[in-house]
Amino acid sequence: MAVNPVALGQPERRKGKPWDKAYPYVSITIPFLVIALFTIYPVLYAVRISFYQYILTKPKSHPFIGLKNFQDVITSYYFRTSLVNTAVYTIAAVIGVTIFGLVVAMLLNSKFKTASALKIIILLPWAIPAVVAGLMWKWMLNSDFGIINGILYALGLIDKYIPFFANPTLAKISLVMAQIWKEGPLAAIFLLAGLQLIPSELYEAAKIDGGTGWRIFRFVTLPLLRPIILIVVVYETITAILVFDLIYVLTGGGPGDSTSMISWFAYAEIFKNLNLGHGVALAIVIALITLVLIIVYLRVIQSEETISG
Amino acid sequence: MKHKLIIFNLVVVFLLLVTAVSGCAPQATEAPAVQPPAATEPPAAAGAKPVAENFVVWSYGIETIGDNIKNFQAMYPNITINLKDYSWLEYHDTMVGAFTAGSSPELLYGSDHWLQEWASAGWLEPLEDHCPSVKGYSAELAPYALQGMTYNGKVYGLSYYADTMDFVYNEALLKKAGIDKAPETWDDVYNMSKTLKDQGVTDYPIIMAWSQKEGAFPEAWTSMVFSQHEGANALFDNDLNPVFNKEGSAAFEVMEWLRKVYSDGLFDPASLTTAEIDQVKSMQSGAHAFTIFPQYNMAEVNKPASGEYAGQFKIALMPGKSHATVGYVRFYAMSPKAVEEGPEYVDAACKFLDYFGGKTDGQYTVVKRWAVENGLGFAQLPLFQDKDVIDAFGKWGDVPTIEAQAKLARAKEGLTTWYGAWDTFARAEIHKAILGDESSMDALNNMANKWNELKAQQ
Repeated sequence: MAVNPVALGQPERRKGKPWDKAYPYVSITIPFLVIALFTIYPVLYAVRISFYQYILTKPKSHPFIGLKNFQDVITSYYFRTSLVNTAVYTIAAVIGVTIFGLVVAMLLNSKFKTASALKIIILLPWAIPAVVAGLMWKWMLNSDFGIINGILYALGLIDKYIPFFANPTLAKISLVMAQIWKEGPLAAIFLLAGLQLIPSELYEAAKIDGGTGWRIFRFVTLPLLRPIILIVVVYETITAILVFDLIYVLTGGGPGDSTSMISWFAYAEIFKNLNLGHGVALAIVIALITLVLIIVYLRVIQSEETISG
Repeated sequence: MKHKLIIFNLVVVFLLLVTAVSGCAPQATEAPAVQPPAATEPPAAAGAKPVAENFVVWSYGIETIGDNIKNFQAMYPNITINLKDYSWLEYHDTMVGAFTAGSSPELLYGSDHWLQEWASAGWLEPLEDHCPSVKGYSAELAPYALQGMTYNGKVYGLSYYADTMDFVYNEALLKKAGIDKAPETWDDVYNMSKTLKDQGVTDYPIIMAWSQKEGAFPEAWTSMVFSQHEGANALFDNDLNPVFNKEGSAAFEVMEWLRKVYSDGLFDPASLTTAEIDQVKSMQSGAHAFTIFPQYNMAEVNKPASGEYAGQFKIALMPGKSHATVGYVRFYAMSPKAVEEGPEYVDAACKFLDYFGGKTDGQYTVVKRWAVENGLGFAQLPLFQDKDVIDAFGKWGDVPTIEAQAKLARAKEGLTTWYGAWDTFARAEIHKAILGDESSMDALNNMANKWNELKAQQ
């Protein structure tokens, strides 16, 4: 039986007009072409390059070499080293940023007069470009005139200035500190939004039931914040894996190769070794690693939602 | 409807794939067509048509460069030079990006350690094919500098400055420790450093500017190896095979020495992250007694306004068996863009190169200015006889020692298309050996293996 659209409360569609038929295609085509031009095409082009020998000093010779670029980079010493460095850095940075964000969010969520102003001010480190943040930390940690050395020395905690970036372990810790300072505020704002969504009745009920500060946090706040924490963890994991500018400014990958992360390795392959094929193959590997992590996180979020639903 | 949309999207994706995979890359990889060398056809007379060219430099003496450009433009009113500068630390990567993107400037600074890489890629033009006066200057150049500007038998640059890596000590600090002569061997440097530290004169007597990104890091390390080695082939044989990864080699001895001074607390650990500018300031403050840096820094450390130790910094011949050191050259170069733009652009570029790196009215005007005003070294040997230069250099250094060290200078070995890539790798290995993360021999073997791997790729 034919159904009259007007009778169903839908606008009547004019039949037979060419524009009506073309409209959906045109409306899809324009954004699709924009995405294709700026996203799909570069990605496909990069994938193509990864199958060719592409040494920048040999502009006339790009033979097809299949998966050799991938084989070369994955079996190289630097890949293993930078992968380990990146994993250590990412774990430390994500844990640090999340804890820092949580502590700051809890403080901002408490009712004190300057909290609303602090909510804006706290975002400043995040709004500062990474290169500027890197330079600030480079000066603060300088082994000759850095303020951190100055403070430690004035407090009598050290008897001579520490060359933070010359020691492999301290250089890694310094990078993580800079990352936490840079990214922590955004995490704090995310988590603050999550905290404000928790109904106050739950806290009141917990108190009536005899809950104390830590137990309320453990059994009320933390479970209800889990979805937001997961979002923070996903975002910060991607940011940490892809970190480049902080390393470039602070350590240049050194000393030795102690702070050579995987993104730094990709940069070095392209701009130092001038091997675009290797660099692009590495970039694709990084993208795949990130993609796998995102899928894992999304699965976790989905299962969280299923449980809470 | 949904079905049709899916088919439509698939068609668009297919078309894009075909375009990306088949259409783009081959054309993009073609080198730009280069016109025949201008030497075969007389360049158009400058003055006929206004010409504007871009000149890219690293950030040093920008005001002086601007002033030199002003003087040049006054001489050639139809030529306009647009100056752009980048930090030395970013210069190489920025220029590689510009070359590969097809947006290189007509004129630029080059360096001996990038020449092979850039010239083999076709990013630089051999000057002698375009500028008739260039060959005439070669006879007056120090051999190491000429070698540093030559690729496949052709000259690609006119020297901006050429310098030696010098061993420098703070005489006042040495006197405080009762030391009255300069070290002659690396053992002397070790023993004097120990005395300086034991007597509390300085915590870390030795500092280097050996951050991963520092330009003169490989030069300083290589100069130590050269000084500990007699004759040529300190690092590579004549067929470019590594010879440094052997026990008893000069490189091995230098690595072992570096590990010792680091573990004994004589070598400032911050050296591994120190840039040249911080090294100079650190020396000026009297925090360290010994260092190696490019000679042009002598004018800076010894200038009267530099502080308590002004005038106390002396050059000693590079300690070691042979006292040899590295001589290096930075130069003015021309890219193929000038050739593509036409003969009048080539002519203007040649005039510019002649003015900046060659002679004007029989004088190396700009080179001499850098030497006198900034203390930059030079490759043009006749300038050693120039009274103004001798007077200027005498203010901050001992001219006979400078001359003696210059005579012992050699170009870096292994300057090839892959030297830059190897250098990046070698820096990290030297760091790891100093830090004790791996043995000297492991580091040298890794460096040799990387060299062989890069060589095989060519």
